[in-house]
Amino acid sequence: MTVVDQMAPGARRIRGRGRAADVVSRWAFMAPAALLLLAVLAYPIFYTIQISFAELDLGTFTATEWVGWDNYLTVIEDERFWNSLEVTGIYLVLALPLQMVLGFGIAFLINAEWKGRGLIRALFIIPMVVAPVVAGGVWRMMLDPLWGLVNYWMGLVGLGPFDWLGDPKLAMITIVIIDTWRWTPFVTLIATAALLSLPRDVFEAAEIDGANWWTTFWSITLPLLVPIIAATFVVRWLGAVKMFDIALAATNGGPGRATSVINLFIYEEAFRSLKFAESAAMAVIVLVITMVLTAVFLRGTRKLEGMY
Amino acid sequence: MGQEQKRTGCLSRRALTAGLSAIATLALTSHGFAQTAAKDGGGLGTPEAPVEIRMIANEAFAKQWQTSMVPEFNKVYPNIRVKIDGVPYAELLAKSLLDVTGAKPTYDIIIADDPWIPQLARTGALLDLKKGAGQWTKPDYDWADFNASPLAAGEWEGVQYGVPLRSNMLLMFVNKALYAKAGLPAPTPSLTWAEYVAQAPKLVQDTNGDGKIDSWAVDTYFTRDSLTPTIWQTILNSNGGALLDKDNKPAFDNAEGVKALQAHIDLLKFAPPGASSHGFNESLQAFRQGQVATLFMWGSVFKGTAVDPATTTLTPDQVGIQVMPAGSRGPGAHRGIWSGAITNKSEHPQAAWALLQWLSSKEGEVWHANALGVFPARKSTLATAPEQAWLVPVYAALQQAYDTSASGQMWRPRLAKSDAVQQILADETSRAVAGQISADDALKSAAKKIERLLK
Repeated sequence: MTVVDQMAPGARRIRGRGRAADVVSRWAFMAPAALLLLAVLAYPIFYTIQISFAELDLGTFTATEWVGWDNYLTVIEDERFWNSLEVTGIYLVLALPLQMVLGFGIAFLINAEWKGRGLIRALFIIPMVVAPVVAGGVWRMMLDPLWGLVNYWMGLVGLGPFDWLGDPKLAMITIVIIDTWRWTPFVTLIATAALLSLPRDVFEAAEIDGANWWTTFWSITLPLLVPIIAATFVVRWLGAVKMFDIALAATNGGPGRATSVINLFIYEEAFRSLKFAESAAMAVIVLVITMVLTAVFLRGTRKLEGMY
Repeated sequence: MGQEQKRTGCLSRRALTAGLSAIATLALTSHGFAQTAAKDGGGLGTPEAPVEIRMIANEAFAKQWQTSMVPEFNKVYPNIRVKIDGVPYAELLAKSLLDVTGAKPTYDIIIADDPWIPQLARTGALLDLKKGAGQWTKPDYDWADFNASPLAAGEWEGVQYGVPLRSNMLLMFVNKALYAKAGLPAPTPSLTWAEYVAQAPKLVQDTNGDGKIDSWAVDTYFTRDSLTPTIWQTILNSNGGALLDKDNKPAFDNAEGVKALQAHIDLLKFAPPGASSHGFNESLQAFRQGQVATLFMWGSVFKGTAVDPATTTLTPDQVGIQVMPAGSRGPGAHRGIWSGAITNKSEHPQAAWALLQWLSSKEGEVWHANALGVFPARKSTLATAPEQAWLVPVYAALQQAYDTSASGQMWRPRLAKSDAVQQILADETSRAVAGQISADDALKSAAKKIERLLK
């Protein structure tokens, strides 16, 4: 017989009431935050979903007529939508691994003992706090073939001139460079913190055992960092998939559609072409794709954590 | 008695009929009045009870208006307080639209770019200035004095929703010094596209003799931007072509359209390196620094780009301004008027209309042009001698551009989906400028998309 079974019915009732009061009080504390979250997160999402299945009357700015999947069909038939998804894919494939490798690589360098590393760490934060529009504008000036410093410097070593913003292929590279300049410090900061938190005794033991730098890195540092790398990747992925401000400021999606990432395309269709219903449909599609891929990455992250 | 009674009865019936007619007329009149005229909302204010009106405008000039124009307006209307909110151009239409369609709009006055009046008016949110605000129109407010082209920018489907406040036209800026250096005569308004292109190679030159090219023939919009298509559209218009036909179907997907777009793309051969990504800022910069001989640009930036010693080393005698080169039909120009409109739900329509009237009046325009260098829309203003010398050639170019644009219908589509059309054109023509597709394919693709959009 368990202790509960041995309890008198009266005592069980009192305990039950206590639990109910506990649940009520917990919910009472959570309710304001939950309601706030519902208002600021769930409402816009549900409103977007509602618009995506309706015709939007610009006169009243409300969804008027239910049109079923019409907006989704219009979007799917629009080659510009698929082109923007492709452009976004190219950007993510190029930018994310580059930022991860550079971020962790720089963290290793900063982690080593050398004079002035504190100053460098502080300087690294600057790109993150510069407004994207300012960053895009400054880079635009630096990369201009006529006045820009970058081509001038490259010219001194016999390289170029390059049309960084006018050449469709180079324009994507340019976006990746600007985005990497902006976000690598974020990865570096996380990586630095992770490196500092690694257990010292394991490294000391490896040193006593005569492990060289590479063996220590490959067999100890990297496995210990894998969960952090995976988590950082997911966080950065969620940030990168939303990117549009750099593209807007630096290339405005051009030349042609070379840098028209999906969020820029949705923004233009909504706020410039005033096609809010179709834009809502696009936003929902992108939301679903992002959620699915994020779930895949999270699953992968958990597996890696289990492995190491 | 009987006759009297009969007469009385007859009178009563007449009186009753007349009374009912009067009531019906009154009711109908007042109903009609309610539909066409707005309440004054505190009129023009009093020292004890001033009225406050709010305006949403392009941030490029909102601050200048707040600090310079509003104090001048308040000399005439001291009891109307004006607050102006500046918004970046790219967000202005969407924000204006969201505001005017709200239950209680924040703004009384909307400053709308050329193609936006139809998009805003379609929502039913703008006040008909001639009927709705007619009761407050000053007797000396001369509608007929406006040039037809800028006034038409504020009109849609026969209703006048806006008045021109900052007029603008796509014009050709000329660096006469670079023409002289190349041994070419300075261009005149009779310059044709054929002559311009023939002279262009000579304008790509080494001006300081160091063996490097340091000056080019042209810069303008080439980048992916909704205003870039206005360049090839102007070339198309000057050759007699049109963007849309009278049924609003694409009319540019033909040899004339391809020729015009190719002419725009070919300008890159004579433009500075990297010009394919140049837009408003970069092309202004190139002209300001004396690196290009011509610039196809909105005339309103002429002062800051070409003659203001604070921003350029160019001097007024070195520069010129005129209509764009002529095609088979005549010279080119493209309209870009900022009109002031009043929201239907404004609580102070009389005060709002007082501001718009003052700023677009003969006196207001003259002050606006002389004090702030803003381009006027009135024939009478353009006929006056401006206080600032640099405005003399500008007035001549403007008058010709207004006449040219009116006769050639040189403006962006006057449709509720105008910006969507412009965005498609920007997308496709940018691909052609970047060399991703041919001019022919770009226009075919644009025509297909626009036709689907306007169906």
